[in-house]
Amino acid sequence: MQEVATNNQKSNKKKHDAHSQKEKRGKKLFLLIVPFVILVLLFSYYPLFGWVYAFFDYQPPIPLNQSPFVGLKWFEMMVQNSTQLHQIGQVLANTFAMSFLNILTSFLPVLFAIGLNEIRNKHFKNLIQTLTTLPNFISWVLVYSIAFAMFSSSGMVNELLRNFNWISEPIKWLDSDSHTWLKMLLWSLWKGLGWGSIMYLAAISGIDPELYEAGRVDGANRLQLIRHITIPALMPTYFVMLMLAVSNFLSNGMDQYFVFQNAFNLQHIQVLDLYVYNVGMGNNSLSLATALSMLKSLVSVVLLFVVNWTSKKTRGESII
Amino acid sequence: MNVIEKKEVTPGERIFQVVNITFFVIFTLICFYPFYYLLINSISANNLSAAGAINLIPRNIHIENYIQVLQLSGIPLAALVSVGRTVIGTLLTVIASAFLGFMFTQQKMWKRKFWYRFVIVTMYFNAGLIPMFITMKNLHLTNTFWVYVLPAIVQPFNIILVKTFIESLPKSLEEAAELDGAGTLTTFWKVILPSCTPILATVAIFTAVGQWNSFQDTLIYITDQRLYSLQYLLYQYINQASSLAAMVKNSTGGALNMGAIATQQTPTSIRMTVSVIVVLPIMFIYPMFQKYFVKGIMLGAVKG
Amino acid sequence: MKKKRLLFLATLVASTALALTGCGSSGTDESKSSSSKDDGKLMKVTIYDDLANYQGTAKGWFAKIVKDKFNIEMNIVAPNVAGGGSTLFDTRSAAGNLGDIIITGAGGGRGQKLVKAGLISDMTPYLKDMKYIKKYKGATDSLNNVIGQKSGVWGVPDSVSSESPLSSSEGTEPTFGPYLRWDYYKKVGYPKIATLEDLIPVLKEMQTEARKENPGKKIYALSLFKDWDGNMMNNAKQPTCFYGYDELGFVLAKANGSSYQDITQSNGEYVRALKFFNKADQEGLVDPESSTQNYDTMYAKYQAGDALFSFWPWLGQAAYNTTAHKEAGQGFMIAPIKDMKIFSYGSTTNGTQTFIALGSKAKNKQRLVKFINWLYSPEGVSASGAQTGGTSGPKGLTWKIKDGKPVLTDFGKKVFLQGGATVPKKWGTGSYTDGVSPLNYPAVIANDINPETKYSYSYTLWPSVLSETRTKLDTDWSNHMSNASTTMDYLEKNDKILVAPGASYVAPEESSEISSLRGQIKTQIVNTSWKMVMAKSDSQFNSLLKEMQTTVKGLDYAKVLKFDMKNAKDQNKARVKIKKEYSGKDK
Repeated sequence: MQEVATNNQKSNKKKHDAHSQKEKRGKKLFLLIVPFVILVLLFSYYPLFGWVYAFFDYQPPIPLNQSPFVGLKWFEMMVQNSTQLHQIGQVLANTFAMSFLNILTSFLPVLFAIGLNEIRNKHFKNLIQTLTTLPNFISWVLVYSIAFAMFSSSGMVNELLRNFNWISEPIKWLDSDSHTWLKMLLWSLWKGLGWGSIMYLAAISGIDPELYEAGRVDGANRLQLIRHITIPALMPTYFVMLMLAVSNFLSNGMDQYFVFQNAFNLQHIQVLDLYVYNVGMGNNSLSLATALSMLKSLVSVVLLFVVNWTSKKTRGESII
Repeated sequence: MNVIEKKEVTPGERIFQVVNITFFVIFTLICFYPFYYLLINSISANNLSAAGAINLIPRNIHIENYIQVLQLSGIPLAALVSVGRTVIGTLLTVIASAFLGFMFTQQKMWKRKFWYRFVIVTMYFNAGLIPMFITMKNLHLTNTFWVYVLPAIVQPFNIILVKTFIESLPKSLEEAAELDGAGTLTTFWKVILPSCTPILATVAIFTAVGQWNSFQDTLIYITDQRLYSLQYLLYQYINQASSLAAMVKNSTGGALNMGAIATQQTPTSIRMTVSVIVVLPIMFIYPMFQKYFVKGIMLGAVKG
Repeated sequence: MKKKRLLFLATLVASTALALTGCGSSGTDESKSSSSKDDGKLMKVTIYDDLANYQGTAKGWFAKIVKDKFNIEMNIVAPNVAGGGSTLFDTRSAAGNLGDIIITGAGGGRGQKLVKAGLISDMTPYLKDMKYIKKYKGATDSLNNVIGQKSGVWGVPDSVSSESPLSSSEGTEPTFGPYLRWDYYKKVGYPKIATLEDLIPVLKEMQTEARKENPGKKIYALSLFKDWDGNMMNNAKQPTCFYGYDELGFVLAKANGSSYQDITQSNGEYVRALKFFNKADQEGLVDPESSTQNYDTMYAKYQAGDALFSFWPWLGQAAYNTTAHKEAGQGFMIAPIKDMKIFSYGSTTNGTQTFIALGSKAKNKQRLVKFINWLYSPEGVSASGAQTGGTSGPKGLTWKIKDGKPVLTDFGKKVFLQGGATVPKKWGTGSYTDGVSPLNYPAVIANDINPETKYSYSYTLWPSVLSETRTKLDTDWSNHMSNASTTMDYLEKNDKILVAPGASYVAPEESSEISSLRGQIKTQIVNTSWKMVMAKSDSQFNSLLKEMQTTVKGLDYAKVLKFDMKNAKDQNKARVKIKKEYSGKDK
């Protein structure tokens, strides 16, 4: 009995030792990333004291400690009456539509990367890869100048169609409300497709060549290789991107919509970010801006965890 | 291997290839055209370009726009600052992303999940302009070069990319290293880092382009003209053109001679010129990264 | 629950207050040397300037004058150039020091806040012998009124004037006016124009004529643009100015205070203007690109001669009236609309809401006040003025006195009439236009009389210049307009101008509630206005109008309108007051 007990004690101690050693090892590992954690604390968490501005009416140059405390006024102001609620409804519909379309098409960069990878001439491939990233570097303001030159009522496209006698009246590409969501989607795809595929190209490069060789030995053709090797290898990256996109549901950015908005398409182009800008432009209130970005941050973080949880339940994998 | 492949091309694959290449050629043309548009408009007569008369061929070619922009005082120094922040910033970010991405795959790390989330959620935080400014001021970073680099070192998005990539690598690599008695850092340095080149190239491109294009931080944190970045200098120039044009709106009387000043170069023509100037270096450097996208290049090397 | 929330907030505030005060205190260190003695050495002065279009160290002939006189090197901080909206103002005031000299607006409560936050200081201790600042005591007192100070000189407003507030502040051309391509107006036989709507048939004839002469060119009588829209569609406001109105929020107020209109009212001038554009559009006179183009694109069309009507002289004339065109008899000139009564800004005796002030952390304050005083002296006004202002430049360089009258020198003619020149060595380096005052600060209105020459600061009004710049176009126009010498001359002689007395009214700060409502309402008004202009029929026009009226009503339009209406009436009170003061002074 005694022997057994001591044995037990021994093994317990051993276990405990192993455990504490493991923990020690874990803490040692943690020590390695401490410098980076400090950077995050300093540059991401410490400035968050600024969220307190959302509860004041802060108007520079008056310092915060002399500014009036307004409680939740900024959060309430957006929803004062029924016409406003109706407008916000439309704005949210636009926001959701644009985000949803973007998520629906988020697999396109994957296909793009796969297709590009199938081009065998290396120089041709590199050339395409370089040139298709170009739109990413052109600001939306300039994109609009180009769009205006192409698609305005006397723009290049309309002139061309008229010269061929295909139309008699110019087509109103820019100043009409037909297919606004679709048009915006196409512009953003054109601008971001090449750039967005870069990380998938990287992921493809990371695939073990032995897998392909094994596949070929088994007699698989190119399409089968893509289906059974390339695509599964890209999925982890794709899912991460997808989750991040979902969490960013409320933020479409505003530059694109701002430059393309006009009297005729406003009803369907006004996404949340643009709406906030259109409403807030006059008063330029830092407090209001803070309140909104705070709200958006919170919604996004909640969405991220919800999505992560769902992913864990359905795919058995969590993203973060 | 190539010889074998060529023999095995089936009709289906051939059709696929033709469709694929056709798509890419067309899409590339669509992507390249706007850049071409900017280029020909920036060298054509400004009034023709503002009137939208330049679509395919440049007319009344002149390089006055470029001369004007490149004559801005402070361009050489600003270019140096921009190159400096791009090189140093990219280097640090790549190292940090690689290291953190790797560390967050280490199951043994103390409270790994918590710290990972702690870092990732900051992606969604935005403290606002004034709090960020006060932070930098309290840290004595305003009007220093480091304000360009330090806050950008830890980037959650890049960490996620690297981590996902490492997780897709064969487990055997790391295990083999550990069996050889390599420590965490050695494993990272000798095994993981060389296998990660494609994703690190991606992170490098993302960061470098971000650093190169950024002007907001100069606007907020920098008042010392010696630390202006190239992008900010150009951004100022565009603003100056726009505000000169807008001034015509507010002026009364004596506007006649002013009209000439404001519109010799329209804000749009300057924007186009600046855009071309900024994109050119990127186009030049980008192909240098592309060699890291070749399939399994380092992976094979390590194993062999 | 509520208590808990408040408690939470309170602790949050307490914890962050530490962080904030930590920052504030660092600002005070910089001020300790402010009282030390001025050694007269070269001083780098940071000037925060909302008007400037140049950022950095000033260079050129104006900078040289300032350096020679005061040993001051001007370092301009210009939000316009820096970009980012109010970013620069926000961060600099968070750091506790805007600049050594500050040029900014007092409106929206900013003046008051600058004093409260301790960013500007009273100039009173430094005012001994500063006769030009003292000369405009009325202006500095009226600024005190705005910023809620009982005494002291906290700043000097810009665009002050010694002229009567009842006389126009504009030079030879008004700010607004119906300008036509005179050559085509002549070709269609100078038809009579009784009122605004009569312009449509005239423009139609002119358009037909112009297209006949230039086959293949896309010429439209009217070309509009979208990027300056604010509380209303900017372009549609302009015709209301031809009848003496100007905007204040959602109100159109007549210059003489006789009428105030809600812009959405069906029988108002704004809706009339929309109707006018719509009629023109239905007649095919409006450029179809109007609703999608911006100012740049439209301006290029004026330059190319593709538009025939301009609301402003500084659009049509600036773009098209080149010397060559004018010699050929082509160009934009004001049209004789019989019933027009153009709105004109009166001379602002007490300045506008923009002012120049002394930064509280500045060193050598006496020297800086001397510099500000100089900006208001005849020498300073001539030399600086605004970049657009058309002041004559420094005496001896661009102009001289000949037979007791100011005339341009050969160099001045090169600069002002022939497109520019490089300044002589003695005056510095670079071209004249590059060297003008980067402050872009019109201390005194350019049309004011220079007490030393007895002629205006602006060369454009000198008889010697007027006679020299007469072209075929001017002669033809003048012959048709009963020999008027300039547009202003014509408008004044024919009682077609309505001067709004130049009161220094500053709109009060609006509550965040009003401005958020305004943001939503104006989007509705602007967009529906454009749709109305492009309406296919009168019935569509009317139903859009109805729709606009109902929507804005739902957005609590009444509340915002009430606020704007009160401001408009207060503005008029200020105008009446200055009118009374001035006529009292005269007697």
